[in-house]
Amino acid sequence: MDLSRRRFLQAAVLTAAAAGATAACGGGAETSGGKDKDLTLWYWSGGLSDKVVADARKHFSSDISLKTSMVGGDFKTKLLTGLRAAQSAPDITGIKGEDIASFLPNADRFIDLKTVGADKLVPQYLSWKLKQATSQDGKLIGFPIDIGPCAMYYREDLFAKAGLPTDPAEVSSQLSTWDDYFQAGVELHKALPKTFLINNIGAVFSMIIGQGTQRFIDEDNKFIGDQDHIRAAWTTSVKPYTLGIDAKINDNTWNAAVSGGTLGTELGAAWHALDITNAAPGTKGKWRVAGLPSGPSNLGGSFLALPATCGNPEEAFKIISWILSPENQARGFTDAALFPTAPAAYKLPALTGGDPFFGGQKTIEIFGPAAEKIPSVYEAPADAAVSAPFFSELTSVEAKGKDPDAAWKDAVSQAKQIAQRQGVK
Amino acid sequence: MSSSPVAGPAATGPSSGPDTGPAGRPAPDRPRGPGRHGRRVRPVSAGARRGPRRKAARYWPQYLAISPYYLLFSVFMLFPVLYTVYLAFQKWDGIGDMQFVGFQQFRFLWDDPVFWLSVRNTLVIWVLSTVPMLLLALVLAVLVNSTKRLTAFYRIALFIPSITSLVAIAIFFGAVFSNNFGLINAILKSVHLSAVPWMSNEWTIKLVIAALMTWQWTGYNAIIYLAGLQAIPSEIYEAAKMDGAGPARILVSITIPMLRPIILFTVVISTVTGLQSFTEPQVLFGSEASTNPNSGGPGQAGLTTLLYFYHQAFDNNDFGYGAAIVWAFFLLILLIVTINWRLVQRKERRP
Repeated sequence: MDLSRRRFLQAAVLTAAAAGATAACGGGAETSGGKDKDLTLWYWSGGLSDKVVADARKHFSSDISLKTSMVGGDFKTKLLTGLRAAQSAPDITGIKGEDIASFLPNADRFIDLKTVGADKLVPQYLSWKLKQATSQDGKLIGFPIDIGPCAMYYREDLFAKAGLPTDPAEVSSQLSTWDDYFQAGVELHKALPKTFLINNIGAVFSMIIGQGTQRFIDEDNKFIGDQDHIRAAWTTSVKPYTLGIDAKINDNTWNAAVSGGTLGTELGAAWHALDITNAAPGTKGKWRVAGLPSGPSNLGGSFLALPATCGNPEEAFKIISWILSPENQARGFTDAALFPTAPAAYKLPALTGGDPFFGGQKTIEIFGPAAEKIPSVYEAPADAAVSAPFFSELTSVEAKGKDPDAAWKDAVSQAKQIAQRQGVK
Repeated sequence: MSSSPVAGPAATGPSSGPDTGPAGRPAPDRPRGPGRHGRRVRPVSAGARRGPRRKAARYWPQYLAISPYYLLFSVFMLFPVLYTVYLAFQKWDGIGDMQFVGFQQFRFLWDDPVFWLSVRNTLVIWVLSTVPMLLLALVLAVLVNSTKRLTAFYRIALFIPSITSLVAIAIFFGAVFSNNFGLINAILKSVHLSAVPWMSNEWTIKLVIAALMTWQWTGYNAIIYLAGLQAIPSEIYEAAKMDGAGPARILVSITIPMLRPIILFTVVISTVTGLQSFTEPQVLFGSEASTNPNSGGPGQAGLTTLLYFYHQAFDNNDFGYGAAIVWAFFLLILLIVTINWRLVQRKERRP
């Protein structure tokens, strides 16, 4: 008994030591001579077309063994953690559109894609999107997977009942400004009292900000969130609230509102079509897509990047450019609703077909031209942080009936504080 | 593991102390005793000089056996906790260079109205959840304690909420209290009352979060109270009944005073956990939104301090400020726990 206890402990110690040794060996085995044959790719569920990724694995299998990990949870936090150690960092990684700006100050943690062959491909892709992944000293750290050109989704049947135009071309031309759009909303709400124009005013605010050529912080790292362009966006956003055509949905009831006809229109990116389709399958055929009032805007769209520790940058970029070629982007659109970043893809059959959910409408006629006309804008690393108070205060207006002018003042003073904390002048 | 003090001398009798020579020597009739152990023991006086170190060396298997916990604790708890102290004096975006900023983060904190709003929210939610939770738990425990049938069923039923996934509960509560299509509002409408905008009013948002926490933790506290109740000798109850005390009198004069240490424990534990509400508002109010995530819902009414910390550190990449928030909040929790402790303790001294 006594002996066996001792043996047990010895065995336990040995097992623990062995486990530790194996774990320690696991990481750094295959990095010899700088030309790695094993590359890892991190992305998130829905971030790339799984079929295209599987084909990439096959296509490069003679030279490279590509290992892919679908990273769940908070992707950015895991990537930040991974980047701190060369062993744990992926060779190729996805970066979400809302996070790319925050990685730019640390562009040296990534490979400048222009040095591994991206410079030749740049003209084929949308320049405003490439700018989002370009540091101020000109390094390109991300290659665009997709974009989110925005449009106005509307219920054709409800528009018809309210006596509004129903044809996408007519809607686009007649509701071409925000004021025309809100006026149509008033008529819609008058004819159908249960139907509102928009789900919340934050959605309008984010669209108007996206239509502009300046955001909350300028290239000289100065806070400009208190200036006229933001104030004007704020004033316009509050209008639907005062007109009573705002459904004020800030919780999880959006699904029910979309399927129940509470919302007559939705402002959203191309990928938002999937949200509507999933939330309200029963409304199939009743929706149409028209241009966003006052011009196109973008929401979201991710990138593929090579961390500086990448084992084989040349081959890795070949994989990226293969996955993101116009043909494969078209497949990504069919497969995962990733709207292509190479305009050449807009002419491919995968995109030019009619969509039965939108009554057979060829939605590319709206999204394609919008994608190419989205304004190029500088987005500072702290932009999302600084813009947060504006969105929070807009919900305060909706939830508490806070006076919009008081809310504006609070938003600006909070944004200034955040700007100060984030080192913005 | 070291069984000599218990098994050795007590069974053999004649020896005077646990560490004296003869008792430790293996007796022929007890081969499984503390044999090996005995060979090494020395008279207490001889070993006293280098006692502690020798003991540590002698008990290495025991120390080894408990070491995994302490190793894991140091790596995953102690080190990160100490590291946040360091971080609170830095400006750091997560991967770039750190920059020492002294007390600047705390100065920002002092002037940040949203931080104070989050503290207010947290305290209100904590009071709204903890008070009814502990009262209800006590009543439930007394009720279950007095039943004779199905006691196992009641205990399991009470315990299940506390092991249910918090995310699942939050999604469920979100659906039940939903403004336009929720179950509660459907019921209200069916009895011709007007619907309540649960998820957009400043106060009802807090009420929903508090209700969620109450639902989850009442049973857990009731189980603890139940254990405490069963430790109270039944003679006292019988005596009280003989003296003509009714159920209410028994509860106030016997049960609660006898349970005081248990109540103190639950108050401290639910203060610490109740002030750390995070998942509830995070799940209830769209943490997935790409613009303005983790903002705590309409009017930031559900923005608890920990959610604010998470937002600053992981959405805004301001890890130094995040560290300052959690440390300021730690001090606040410590203060409240101390106040609670004093309140409950003082009552104990009174009689």
